[in-house]
Amino acid sequence: MKKLVTLCMMVALATITVKAAQAGDTLADVKKKGVLTVGCKDSLPPFGYIDEKSRQIVGYDIDFVNAIAKKLGVKVELKPVTSASRMPQLQEGHIDIIAATMTKNAERAKVIDFSHAYFLTGQKFITKKGSVNSLKDLEGKRIGTAKGSTSEKNVAAAIPSATILSFDDYPQAFLALMQGKVSAVTTDEAILAGILAKAPTKGQFEIPNIQISDEPYGLGMRKGDTNFVNFVNKTILEMEKSGEAKAIFEKWFGPTTQFHLERTFKISADK
Amino acid sequence: MLNYTFDWSIITSGQYFDWLLAGLITTLKLSAISIVLAFLLGLLIAVMRMAHSKPVRWFALAYLEFFRNTPLLVQIFFWYFGSYKILPVFINDWLNKTGFEFAAAAIALTIYTSAFIAEDIRSGVLSIPKEQMEAARSAGFSYLRSMQYIILPQAVRITIPPLVNQFLNLAKNSSLAMTIGVMEMTYQARQVESYSFKGFEAFTAATVVYLVLSIVITALVNLYNEKVLNVHKAA
Repeated sequence: MKKLVTLCMMVALATITVKAAQAGDTLADVKKKGVLTVGCKDSLPPFGYIDEKSRQIVGYDIDFVNAIAKKLGVKVELKPVTSASRMPQLQEGHIDIIAATMTKNAERAKVIDFSHAYFLTGQKFITKKGSVNSLKDLEGKRIGTAKGSTSEKNVAAAIPSATILSFDDYPQAFLALMQGKVSAVTTDEAILAGILAKAPTKGQFEIPNIQISDEPYGLGMRKGDTNFVNFVNKTILEMEKSGEAKAIFEKWFGPTTQFHLERTFKISADK
Repeated sequence: MLNYTFDWSIITSGQYFDWLLAGLITTLKLSAISIVLAFLLGLLIAVMRMAHSKPVRWFALAYLEFFRNTPLLVQIFFWYFGSYKILPVFINDWLNKTGFEFAAAAIALTIYTSAFIAEDIRSGVLSIPKEQMEAARSAGFSYLRSMQYIILPQAVRITIPPLVNQFLNLAKNSSLAMTIGVMEMTYQARQVESYSFKGFEAFTAATVVYLVLSIVITALVNLYNEKVLNVHKAA
């Protein structure tokens, strides 16, 4: 029995040591493995979603990590994550980087490191046409969003009297809106535009011009993984300079798409 | 993960404690309501399954096979999202205003678990030798009275251990209700995690709650077994 306990402890210790080594230098580790494991969304057009023809996950987020992997000379392995699961997955070493419409904020930055913002949007609402003109119209109403997202906290702060219903992901929240179970779904405008574009009855819905927060997206990496963070930052700054970042934006949001969004930001080194 | 420091204070007081407590109460309510309803419904289905009328038996069989063999998560989504298409508009409007999440979860848990309970009860009844029924009938008891006085009291005793299993499963399955926004224990634990990033503390608390809940259910049923049915542990 004693032997067994000792053995178990040794195994546990060995596992921990291996994990510690992983967390240390992802850059070297990824190069050695030849694979960059990415946590991404798989049902959020146009950031990360499954393309109907190729059955592959594609999107704005994916193009960014593809460019980073290309520079590293490694392959990309995409792992779908949810808003709630992505940070634990990163911390536990199941993924190397998060590219999943993740807002940079101070609270999260205590636990993980972010790249410079690679996308900028703001939190808005999607509602039945004509039902909401100002924040007041949403007081005391039921509002849907996704678990573990910043949207959840922002809307709770902006409309304290509202009941917030958190679903597993945005498609379910939107289904609840279509069925009248909630009066609005709230999250970042770019995500809402994606949901609206895909909606079967898009004529009935709109995104009123009410913004409750700025949402800069960053790529998430393990805390203290400085080499990797620097590499990623350098890469996306180069992509901005070369026009590749702009091209990716135009490809997914520009005039040839159903979103017609203007690029109102540039990737730059922040703080 | 290595430099993770545990901070239990965040879940023992303040806002996060309130959330977890609210989650605990919802889990208790959801489990208790569903256990009672699932037991009654299960009893009914078991009786229908053994009925003389063929259509009634077939209905019960179809019910059993359908609800036993589809995932609970799908059933929860069905009652919450799918029922929208079947129900009339005014009922939908009313449900949407009052919040249908809890009820949908309770319905799904009840129906899903009742199918398992029905089979447990039926197997309990079948395990009573049929001679007992014959003896009771020849002693002048009617069919229903024979069931009531001779068969069911014995069958229920045999059925109790598997029933406890079903109750425990139900209590733990209730965590799936969070997928439709029912703010039960697991939902709140996740909420605490996403606000504080202290997932280990929150989920440890949730684990302890489910463990205690399960032990309490087991103890209550054992107590009932001993005090009311006079079954002793050794027997």
